[in-house]
Amino acid sequence: MLKLLQNEWMKLWSKKGTWIMAGLMVILILGLAGIMKWSESLAGDEPDNWKAAVQGELEGDKASLESGLLKGESKRLAEERVMVNDYRLANDTAPLQDISREMMIYDPSVGSIALLLTVIVAAGIVASEFSQGTIKMLLTRPVKRWKIMTSKYIAVLLFGILLMLIGFAVTILSAYVLFSPGGGQALAVSGGKVVEVSVWSHGLYMLLLSFANVIITATFAFMIGSVFRSNGMAIGLSLFIYFTGSIVVALLSRFEIVKYLLFTHMDLTMYETDFRLNDDITLPFSLAVLAVYLVIFLIVSYSVFTKRDITA
Amino acid sequence: MERTPIVELKNLSKTIHGKKIIDDVSLLLYPGQITGFLGPNGAGKTTTIRMMVGLMKKSGGDVVIDGQTLSADFEEAMSKVGVIVENPEMYKFMTGYKNLLHFARMHKGVTKERIDEVVRQVGMQNRIHEKVGTYSLGMRQRLGLAQALLHRPKFLILDEPTNGLDPAGIREFRQYLRMIAETEGVSVFVSSHMLSEIELMCDRIAVIQNGKLVDIRDVRETRESHYYIEAAPAEKAAVLLRTAGFETEPLESGVVIQAEKAQIPAVVQELSAEGLDIFAIQPHRRTLEDEFLELTGGGQLAETAAK
Ligand SMILES: Nc1ncnc2c1ncn2[C@@H]1O[C@H](COP(=O)(O)OP(=O)(O)OP(=O)(O)O)[C@@H](O)[C@H]1O
Ligand SMILES: [Mg+2]
Repeated sequence: MLKLLQNEWMKLWSKKGTWIMAGLMVILILGLAGIMKWSESLAGDEPDNWKAAVQGELEGDKASLESGLLKGESKRLAEERVMVNDYRLANDTAPLQDISREMMIYDPSVGSIALLLTVIVAAGIVASEFSQGTIKMLLTRPVKRWKIMTSKYIAVLLFGILLMLIGFAVTILSAYVLFSPGGGQALAVSGGKVVEVSVWSHGLYMLLLSFANVIITATFAFMIGSVFRSNGMAIGLSLFIYFTGSIVVALLSRFEIVKYLLFTHMDLTMYETDFRLNDDITLPFSLAVLAVYLVIFLIVSYSVFTKRDITA
Repeated sequence: MERTPIVELKNLSKTIHGKKIIDDVSLLLYPGQITGFLGPNGAGKTTTIRMMVGLMKKSGGDVVIDGQTLSADFEEAMSKVGVIVENPEMYKFMTGYKNLLHFARMHKGVTKERIDEVVRQVGMQNRIHEKVGTYSLGMRQRLGLAQALLHRPKFLILDEPTNGLDPAGIREFRQYLRMIAETEGVSVFVSSHMLSEIELMCDRIAVIQNGKLVDIRDVRETRESHYYIEAAPAEKAAVLLRTAGFETEPLESGVVIQAEKAQIPAVVQELSAEGLDIFAIQPHRRTLEDEFLELTGGGQLAETAAK
């Protein structure tokens, strides 16, 4: 199996496209940091008045809590915000600044770029063997088809992880080179108490959450690529799902079924923001739904691939 | 050749969309023997070969390779097999060497030295470190042969392997196949359209038509001696020859008879004694093509030849 993986890795990096993708990852992250730097210079030096902002948010949350309109997760989130903001004012603890070294590490935006590029690889890794005609050379070896499939899937996941790591490394680098420390402290509610959060652990946690989206979308692309043997179709459909998912959720939000749609759960980083696509879902529930979809995608990919007659 | 067969096709069948493409094909292949697989276009050669190597699922029957049933123990059975199915497609973006390395990793016990050895055997040592995308068709064929030989298979299956080789390449290829068959006892199964090719290369031929195996025979057997006789009046000559006990077969303006060399003087005497004018008596070599035509019917052969 290790040798099969070695083969997939060799094929992957023998293609120019793969190197271009890795380069693109670096360039896009640098570009993003550059744009932030530029917008920072536009903002000018307003006196930092975080207390007023926190006070404003606190009053807003209290008002909506009293109105009784909030329920479920939105209610819980508002309550937590109130706790954190109370703590900030009481202990004179400023939040992280929007544009600062800490903020870049706290919320690294590598997930969506890594996702797009990993989807391209996942879509092609099986489909291209068919389009090149190499599939018949690959499958007339003393190796069962499911093993070949597994080596390909693992190669895709490794590529995704690698891109995430490259992206995070470049983010850290540009955070230190381009931005000055902004002070402030990230807070969160844990076990009913307000606790301090390290930007590093939160950054890694965000990477992990966004990697779930990379995995599920790439697995979808992998499935389409191996079922329809078409690279382009796999990329197209996957990106379509990725971009239209939240619209579908919004359209169907009145129905119970929305809780069980893949789209509702693709972006787990929403659990670290104040925005929920749906008020009744929680992280463990999302993980369970994602796992079910993942298993279905893999079963479809494997069963089609191992049974198919190769006539290419 | 009463040895134990290395490959056994047992009542192999394939049905696609209710149509029987391969119908109950049974065939034994022996070590050290080169078996040609002949048939007109669409007869089912490629389909049979794809089933023999697990690319297509069979609808019925079994393939046994060196005692292992393909469907029961795919990995064990396939470890004995080297294949080229139609054109050997390689990874164009990698060098020939990396392609071989790639396939070598999928077999047990293929060393770097073995890769180098095979590269030399197919005469690719000068270009092996260039990208396959830059290779000519013939070079790709050579690389295809190399990948099929890497793991020293006991059984080699080739689907139209000489497509794209130059005459020198074809001869080299033929000699190479003979060599590994004779010295290493490899059993070779080779499909081709080129009848003269098959005739020169094979010990035995299997002919398939419309998915059915219509004939299996040793090539040597077909080398009976025939003579072409042209005499006038032709009808009288034919009658005389038949009464003398020969099978006659009209060809151009004369007849072909099957006869031993020693019988010819007597035939000549008899014909001249009857006052016939003899214009020509010459050995007639029935080619495999003639027999093939006979077996499968001219129309379909024309199709084959046109390709
Ligand atoms: N996937 C398929 N679906 C339907 N029919 C098929 C399929 N694959 C092959 N056939 C049919 O099976 C028959 C045998 O095809 P095959 O490719 O085995 O012929 P062949 O002997 O290799 O011909 P050629 O000499 O042209 O290479 C043909 O009539 C072909 O149309
Ligand atoms: Mg064919």
